[in-house]
Formats: sequence, structure tokens, C-alpha cells
Amino acid sequence: MPVGMNWRQLKVTRVLVLGISLLLISAGNTEILRSEDSETGLKSWKWSREGISLQLVQRLPDQTRGFFQARGFTAEEADLIAGSCVFQSIFRNDGSQLLSYNLDHWKVIHQGVELPLQTAERWAQKWQDGAVTQAARIALRWSLLPTRQEYRPGDYNWGMTSYGVAPGEQFDLSIVVNLDGARQIARINGIECARDR
Amino acid sequence: MKKRTQLFVLLLHLAVLQVSVAQQPGEGLTLMPEGTRAPEFSLPDMDGNTFRLSDYRGKPLIINFWATWCPPCRAEMPSMQRAWEKLQQEDILMLAINVGEDEDTIFQFTANYPVDFPLLLDLDSTVTGDWPVKGLPTTYVVDPGGNLVYKAIGGREWDDEALLDQVRALKK
Repeated sequence: MPVGMNWRQLKVTRVLVLGISLLLISAGNTEILRSEDSETGLKSWKWSREGISLQLVQRLPDQTRGFFQARGFTAEEADLIAGSCVFQSIFRNDGSQLLSYNLDHWKVIHQGVELPLQTAERWAQKWQDGAVTQAARIALRWSLLPTRQEYRPGDYNWGMTSYGVAPGEQFDLSIVVNLDGARQIARINGIECARDR
Repeated sequence: MKKRTQLFVLLLHLAVLQVSVAQQPGEGLTLMPEGTRAPEFSLPDMDGNTFRLSDYRGKPLIINFWATWCPPCRAEMPSMQRAWEKLQQEDILMLAINVGEDEDTIFQFTANYPVDFPLLLDLDSTVTGDWPVKGLPTTYVVDPGGNLVYKAIGGREWDDEALLDQVRALKK
């Protein structure tokens, strides 16, 4: 529980969270829900199919800066990560099939150009010069959504995903997953990177 | 100053939101391929005591990989403690391996999340890398012969009797 919060306050806050207004995206794709937290104004996108779901929740650049600075990154390094459009991501398998994915197969479509996701491996390449401390590298590696993962029914991960797009910009995300070995493709349009406040 | 206060309140709200959402646990244990050996390790706890996997041979063991900043890891800790209070009387063991954080960080964490089972430090994440862990939390159940039998990716309600019965069955 966060410091300074008692269970009653937490419960009240949870009720507020439940009060988040859900808005069905009007692109005719009923698998995608867009929501906005009435307290923070942060937006999220949730894609669901056959019991699996991927929820992307905006992170404020300041949230990300603070997180990584507290774990050994310099202000400049943390700023680089914070400026690359970071989302909190919750990938769940509440269905009945084996779910697997590889983020290297996903595409960010920004202003008509296809870009790769900034995976743990891509970030590791950026810090190859050894200037970043070991503690910082480990924090980044394990705080990101795994690049490749398999979820049996009942499994899930939380992790950050970063898209290499500037704060305030929009992009579309092409998702590829395998359900019991069958390749499935989906697209979430109009994802917005949180602005600096 | 007012803007900084607003930002602080906003970040605090986001922390609460994370805790709230993280309290939706996953379900069940996944059976692993037969004969998968649990990688050996030797790690210290916060008091400098060394723990080796081989010390636990002969008893079922639950091993959790976690970090203090991971919301589902925090959410499942109280249920792990409740499970431990049941299991330690049944000769079933539990360990949690922290990935990459120092003892001060973990010590502060335990002020809000008190647990009695050993918390081991994998400072350079080498042991975590040796195990088939891809994301946190991930938990394995090791049988008395040192084989990985079950895994759970994501948090669980560890004091769920149906789940614990799967672990208890390994004693037979």
C-alpha cells in the first residue's frame, strides 16, 4: 500500500478508478477500448480477443524520469527513455489457449513510417559503451515487458513498453500474437503518447 | 511550487492506481516439461547468510523472482506470507530472489510488506538469467528431487488451498 494511504482511502480510490469512463473506439473494431482516468487524465487502450488482453496505459514522462533516475540512470539517460513514449503494459491470458508473442514482430506506424518497438535488447545496444551502471541496466531490462514470452492460461506480465515516438505524438500499433500456434494480427489506431506536464 | 504539489499528488494517485489494478491476480500453476532441472545457485540474504538450492533437496520448494518496483510482485507478497505461515509447518519451503536491488531497498520494502521467508539478493541478476525467467514476478515450484515442476508467470493468491494442494502433492 502506498505510504500515507489507509485501506479506506485505497478503497475509495479504487471506486474512483472503477468510475473511469470507457469509450468504445469508433473505428468499428469492438476489440479495442479506449479509456481515460477521470482523476489523472491519463489515457489507456485495451485490446482483447478470445480471453487475452493487452492494456497500454500512458506514463507521464516525469514518472519515467523519476523511476529510472532512482535506479541509477543519469538525468540525461533517464530523459532519453522518458522521451521515447513509454506505456505501462499489462498482457494477460485469461483465455484457454497458449499465447505467445515476439515484440520484434510488432510495428509502430508513425506518420506513415514503420518503426520497431524499443525493446530491452534495443535499449541495451544504446548503452553498450558501459557508461550506464549495472544496477541501472538491470532495472531497465527487468522493468520492460519481455521481448518474447509465452503465457499459459492464467499467466500475465506487467512491463513498460516504449515506442520511440516523442511526447504528445500519436501512432498506430500493429500487434502479432500466436494463439495455440495460429498467427493473429491486430491494430490499435491513434495511441497517444503522454505529454510532459 | 503549486505545480510541483499537483504533480506529486498526481504521481501518488498513479501509484495507488497501480496497486489497485495489480490486485487482479493470475490463476493456477503451469506444469513444466518433465525432467527440467532447477539451476543451482548460491545467494546471500540481507544478513549475509548464504543459501544454496542444493541445501533444499528432499523438500518441495517455492522460488519467487521479484523486485520492489514491480506492482504485481508487491501485490502477491502478503499472500505469499500467508502461504508461508501454513507451509513451513508442513516441511515445504519458500524463497524469494530479488532481482538487482540492494539490501537497503529491500529492507525499506519489508517495513510495508513484512515477510518471514528468506529474501535473497541477486545483485547482478546472474542467477535470474540462469533460470528461465523472462518477466517479473515469475515463480517456480521445485520438487524434492531438484526438478522444476510448476511455474506461474505473474502474481497469484498463494494462500489459495487448491494451488497449495498442488505443491503439497509433491511430498508424496
